[in-house]
Parts: sequence; C-alpha cells; structure tokens
Amino acid sequence: MGIKGFIETSFLDWPGKICAVLFLPYCNLRCPYCHNHELVLHPDRFSDFPWDTIQQRLEVLRNWLDGVCITGGEPTLHSDLPELLDRIHGLGLAVKLDTNGTHPEMLEFLISQKLVDYLAMDIKGPLDQKSYGRSAGVRISIPEIKKSMEFILSGRVAGEFRTTVVPEWHTAPVLAQMALELKEAPKWTHQAFNPAQPLDPALRVERGHGFERAANKANGS
Amino acid sequence: MGTIVELHQDPKVSEVKETTDLALFVRTSNEDLVTWNRQRIVDALVRETLVDFDTAEAISKEVEEFIFSTKISMVTAPLIRELVDSKLIERGLEKARIMHTRLGVPLYDVDQMIVHPNKENANVPHGPEATNLTLAEGIKKEYALLSVFSSQVGDAHMRGDFHLHDLGFIDRPYCSGQSLEYIKRFGLNLPNALSMAKPAKHPEVLLAHMVKFAAALQSHFAGAIGWDAVNLFFAPYLEGLSDREIKQLAQMMIFEFSQQAVARGGQAIFTDINLYWEVPRHFEKVPAIGPGGKYTGKTYLDYLPLAQKFVWLLFDVFKEGDGAGRPFFFPKPLVHITEKFFQTPNHQEFLNHICEVAALKGNTYFVFDRGQTAKISECCRLSFKLEAQDLLDAHEPWRMRYCALQNVTINFPRLAYQAEGNDTTLFAKLAESVELAVEAHLQKNAFILKLLSLGERGPLSLLTMDRDGSPYLRLQRATYLIGMVGLNELVQYHTGEELHESQKAIKFGLKVIAYMKLLTDRFSQKYGMRFVLEQTPAESTAYRFAKLDLQKYPEQAGKVIKGDKAQGEVYYTNSTLFNISAQMNPVDRVRYEGLFHPLIEAGALTHIWIGESRPDKESLANFIIKTFKLTKNDQIAFSPEFTTCRACGQTSRGLMEKCPYCGSAEVDGITRITGYFTKISSWNKGKIGELRDRYRNTPYFSMREAVSPGVEEPT
Repeated sequence: MGIKGFIETSFLDWPGKICAVLFLPYCNLRCPYCHNHELVLHPDRFSDFPWDTIQQRLEVLRNWLDGVCITGGEPTLHSDLPELLDRIHGLGLAVKLDTNGTHPEMLEFLISQKLVDYLAMDIKGPLDQKSYGRSAGVRISIPEIKKSMEFILSGRVAGEFRTTVVPEWHTAPVLAQMALELKEAPKWTHQAFNPAQPLDPALRVERGHGFERAANKANGS
Repeated sequence: MGTIVELHQDPKVSEVKETTDLALFVRTSNEDLVTWNRQRIVDALVRETLVDFDTAEAISKEVEEFIFSTKISMVTAPLIRELVDSKLIERGLEKARIMHTRLGVPLYDVDQMIVHPNKENANVPHGPEATNLTLAEGIKKEYALLSVFSSQVGDAHMRGDFHLHDLGFIDRPYCSGQSLEYIKRFGLNLPNALSMAKPAKHPEVLLAHMVKFAAALQSHFAGAIGWDAVNLFFAPYLEGLSDREIKQLAQMMIFEFSQQAVARGGQAIFTDINLYWEVPRHFEKVPAIGPGGKYTGKTYLDYLPLAQKFVWLLFDVFKEGDGAGRPFFFPKPLVHITEKFFQTPNHQEFLNHICEVAALKGNTYFVFDRGQTAKISECCRLSFKLEAQDLLDAHEPWRMRYCALQNVTINFPRLAYQAEGNDTTLFAKLAESVELAVEAHLQKNAFILKLLSLGERGPLSLLTMDRDGSPYLRLQRATYLIGMVGLNELVQYHTGEELHESQKAIKFGLKVIAYMKLLTDRFSQKYGMRFVLEQTPAESTAYRFAKLDLQKYPEQAGKVIKGDKAQGEVYYTNSTLFNISAQMNPVDRVRYEGLFHPLIEAGALTHIWIGESRPDKESLANFIIKTFKLTKNDQIAFSPEFTTCRACGQTSRGLMEKCPYCGSAEVDGITRITGYFTKISSWNKGKIGELRDRYRNTPYFSMREAVSPGVEEPT
C-alpha cells in the first residue's frame, strides 16, 4: 500500500479536531459522483509519500494535531492497514477511518484491536439493492453494509454516517427514507456533491445545483 | 497655507496703476479680474520670502516686461507666480523659490480626479466628497514635504527610501484609541460645536454620541478610531432590556459604523471595536458609569452577564451580514483571547460562535494577550500594551486615551540592493534609515505641537479640549511608528532564500528585526519618546516601493519582486509576512510568522486566506486555542472571499466572474485587502497582483470533495 496523498493539517475532516489526512489508493466501488477517481482508477499516476517523511512531519506537528484521518480510495482494501494505524497510534495520535463499509471483517479486526478511534462510514443511499447499487456504481451486498453499520449503531466505536447528496438522486423523499433507516445513528452528516470533476462526466452537467440551468431557462437557452 | 491668495484686489492700490494704456487683466484666486499691478509681485516676494526689496523690484520689472512683450491681454495669478519663480531660479535664490512656490493641481489632474476613482486607499469611494479629499490631500502633501519636513526627509520619501504615511493629513495625528467612558461621563461637549449634549440617559443616545464622536475624531486623525471594551462599557445601559432590544442595539451599532461612508471624504470611519468575553482584570473593580453619566453603584465585574450577552449578539449580527448577506466592512471586531478568557465560563461556546463568524464572514480578529499583558488595539493591527501608569488610569477609564502620531515605513528590499550582499553595509543602511525615520517623527511632532499650542481656538481644538485635567490628546503617551515593507525580499536578495525556504532565512530575518527594535529602543531613550515597530498595513506602499525600485534598481528588484511584471501588478511582501503564495499549512504560517511578533510591539498579524472554503468552526476554535498556547503569534484573521451580484443582489462564496445564482456578469468581488474588507474593484494594481498570488490553504480548509491528492504530490 502506498500513501498517495498527505494533508498536514486539516480543519475539516474531523469535526472539532485538527488532523492530518492520508489518502490510500484503490476502491472497490465506482460511485459516479466520486471526486477522487484519479486515486481510484489511476493510483500509479501519483508517487508514494515515504512513511519516514510523513512520520517526521507528524512529529513536528505533534502538539497541534489531534489525530490522523485515513481516507482514500477505500482504506480497508489494504491488508497492511492495521500496521499503518498501529504506527500512527505509536506517535500518540488518534485515528479516524473513512470507509464505505464493504469490508466488515477488516473493520471487526481493527475495532477489536482498538486501532480505530472514530469511524466515518459512507451511506450511499436507501438500503435496497437498486438504490444503493446506483449510487455505488457496482453491485453491493446490503447485509455486509448493515454489518458494518452495526459497529457505529451499537456504540462499539465512536463514529458517524455520511452521505454525499446528489440533488438529482437524493430527493426529499429519498432522504426521508434514509433518515428512517438511520434514526438510531449518533450522527448523520450530509456533504454537498462537488460537480467539478466527477467520475461520471454525465454528472458534470448538473453544475451549480440547478441554479445555472434555471438561469439558462430564464434566458431562453 | 492652503490656496494662496494672490494679488488681492485692493482698490487703493489699483488706482495708482502705472500701465494705464494696456488693458491687461489678471485673474486672481479671489475670483476677481483686476488690472495689472506690478507692485503686487514686490509685495508678495517681500511678504513670503526673505528676498530684499531691490531684488523684488528688479524681478517684478523683468516679469512685467516679459508679459507686456507677449501682448496677451489676460494672465492668471499662478502664471505670474511661475514667471517670478523662474526669475528667482535665474538668480540662484532656491530657498526663496521654495518659499514662494504655489501648491496646486494641473487642470488635467483635477479632471481625472473628478471622473476617475482614487485607488490609493480602497476605503475612499468615488464621489464629490472623495474628490475634495483627494485634492486637499494632494495640496497638504506638497505642503508637508516642502514646509514641515526637512529636504533630507522629504527627498527620502520622494525617492522611496521610506514612506511617510498620510502626508495629506499632515495637520493631524495618525490614529486614536479611547473608550466609551469619556462620552458617558462628559457627554458630547465638543469645542466649536453648535450644541452640547449632557451624558446620555438611554442606550440609543449613547450610541448616537459614540457615532458622532467617532466622526469628530475621524476629522482630527488620519486613520483608525479604536474603542476599548465596547461590550463591557455599554453594559450598564442595557439593564432591563430584552434580548430582542439588545440585539436591535447591536444591529444599530454595526450598521451605523458600516454605513458611515457619508462622512469625511465619503470615507467610512475606520472603526475597531475591542471586545472581551471576560471582564479584564484592570476593569473588575472600577465603578461603573451608567445612564446620565452617574455611577450605578456597581463595579464592572457585576456587568459580566450583560457584557457577554451584548458581545454574543454583536456576533449574531456579524454572522448574518448586511442586507445582502455580505460581510460588514466596518466596524472591525477584535476579540481579546487572554488567560482569563479561558477561566471564564462558557468561553468554549463563545469561541465556537466567533469562529463560526470567522469561517462564514471573516470579521473576527483574534488578538492574543498572553501572560499579564493587557492591550488595546486599533487600526489594522496597531495595539498598545498597557503599562503601569495605564493600569492606574484604568480606575478612571475615560483617561485611557492613546494615539500614534505618525507612521513611517522603510523600504527594506532597497537596503539589500544597496548593501550588495555585505552584512555590515546592510545593518549600517538600516540604522541610517531608522535614524532618518526618527528625524521625520521629530519634525511632525514639532509641527503638531505648534498647532496644539494654539489651544481651543486653534485648528486642533478638539484635541486640546480639557474635561478632566488633561487635554484630550495626551501627547506624552503618543507612540511613533516605524514600519517595514518587504522583509521577505530583503532576506531573499541578501541570502538567496525566502523566509519560508529555510530556518537560516528566518534567523536572518529575525536578526534584522531585532536590530531594528534595538535601534528604536535606543532612540526612545534618547528622546524620551516612544518609537515602536509596527507591521505597516502598506496597502499602497508595498506597490509604490515595488514600482520605484523597478525603475531605480531594475536588475536587483527584478530578481525578488512579487506579482506580474508584464501587467504592472507588482508588490513587495508586506512587513514581516512570508511569501503570500508559499504553500505553507496554516499551523506553520502562524508559528513562523509569530516568531517575529514579540519584536513588533505596536502589533502584528498573520493572515490566513481561506478563499471559498468553510472550515469547521470547532476545528477553528481548536486552532485558536493552540495558537494561544503554543505560539507567540499576536493576532490572526481568516479571510474568505465573496462575490456579490449587482443584478440579483445575492452574495455567494468565492471569487467568480459570474453570479452563480443569476449568471450576471455584474458582480463585485469582496475580500480583505490588508486589515479590512472591501470591493476588489477599488484595489490598486499591486494588491490585485497579491490577490492572484494568495495561497488559499485549499487542501486544509476546503470540503474534502474538492481535494485533489495531486496537489500534494511531492516534487
């Protein structure tokens, strides 16, 4: 596993905290709205950050950082993820893990080993095969997703659910349905879809969440 | 001196005219046409210069002869004066020529001014008042350079060795800091005013007095007007009011100061309000003044809950923004983060609240007062550390009135060009510059003293008014500011590395500033005056120095100057700031820039440009706490960017060419220029160049969705 991206201090990835962010390559999903698809499809286009460099910077910033956020791509695809999290804990820094929840066994292992302090799991859509599959771009095993959700719902690990809201798909009734399914969740965060460079170029037309289209209509074009 | 009235019409004199047969008329500055009278030249020369009568006679005859030989029938007074001046030059009477010179503006310039906006100060809108201000400033600037300062000082300014700020306001001090207590105790009783008002009985009236007094001060100071502990001193007037009524007052205060662009020169009053979540230790036991200027029988400590409510609601108003959702440009809220802040209940909630405003609108300034220091801040970052005498004065807070008399900013990169890599020369040049800056301060001080000595009948009567045993302006407490522009370029030219590029470069930069501080300390001792280093905002100076150096030192300046040379959008990095475009994370910027702050006594600031992104408020609060505890940084501000649409009135985040709501191109960009927010269309070219370069911390603050790991690729 190479570390493909490194943000030294983020004020956004872990609410209330200042954290570093590490980006890991590859993903098993193909969400059409993915903004990090270069990292998913062509990780070889990025060179690796040597761990020594990262460790040195984390140590310099030690007093400022509350933790490190591991994101991707999908970090749980990497069998050596536990080792990385252990190294981060070794520096006295907490770990936040971003996951799509498709690998509950890996999560089970990380949580039982107390390697994750905060888990942020993506919920792509309502928990039925069709809706979820459309948002994820591939076939999804809903039971596996539910298994992963249980870590957070049961309180075994602190965490939250997150949904990237694509206005065309996540309409009010859809969000209402999701809210019902997530009513036990400690926290459910909505993230705005960034239409700048999504994986599926077709989504790019939806720029500006309809504002521009409304304007174009008004101008008769 | 103003406009020189020449060749006054005087019927007695015009009767004894010698040139009866010639119908030559003179257009005087008195809006008169008078017939030619040579004697007036003689009178003017004898009155205004030290030229002897015979020479004056001779000159007047030569000029007369010349004018008659041209057979023109109408001359203007300025033309005659120029002709006389040329005769003075022919005779080598340089000093007399200067004394006899006319200050004025060419027709073309006035035309340009009336039609085109002033770009030297983005806080001056375009309009008849603004034109008046620019014209008056132009003439007073010439006057200052000829008459207030020695030619050595004036020339150094003209060459761009240093910059004398606000020359157009030569007859006023630079900036002023005070508290509401003065008007609460004495009412609004100003010299030369048409009416006097007794101390306010109602909060709305106190607010009205505050605004009027600020406007009166604005016409007596060149720059910022700062108010200490506004929420605390307002609190005794808020007793018994509902939250809604207090919010209404908060709204009135902010709108009043943000809409004052109807005063002097159409300029908003550059207003700073200092705010506290706690009651500062030095005000705890002070008897509170309430309605009618009477003591309420309580101390200020008793007003903590009301003061907290008021400051909370002030920030609610800042969060909402103006009628179009834009950030308020003024007043600037400076929140003091102190040891006591962290001991005051609910400080975390308040910190989150003001951090939310910082993230959304950018208004909040976080001022760090560590240890036992207490400070009052004004201007972009100018602050005063309170000393023993001030803490005594704090028992009668209306006595706490401070001013800076003038600001002189040294062109740092030029020192490096002149030193040609030699340390000794560099430090010697720096010493010479500081010495000359001190000289400039002494000269302005003497001039202001002269005006003040005319007392309540003089031009600065407001500053001499005495309501409490000392004049309003306490000159003995004044500071004299010496600033710098382009430390980064000095270090870059001298050592080959910019400040952000190596620890060695930072160390050298610190050595330069430490030496500068040592020099000012020495001069302070020598003259018994307070010469203090300041991070000059240098809104136009950073551009002016860069332009001048590209002409005078093209080869050297070309290597280090920032911005776009082809577009003429050039600038030097402000004060001791690091390269604006350097990709430093905000933690490093705050830490490393903060190393310089303890040396800069009159206040320093680190800007964090956040562009269109919206950091999490609690993470920002976390950052503020760590900045207080882990660094020496004096002050920080976060600067978001906005686009406001003139067509649909919507305001959106980020700088865009078109309104994302309606698609109109009729948009204004808004962000912080130096120490305040303005519309970008009013910026000078140097600042536009800087704006293009600003590193907006995108990977650190923006929505994760926007992060491309590519930017983090190691090079």
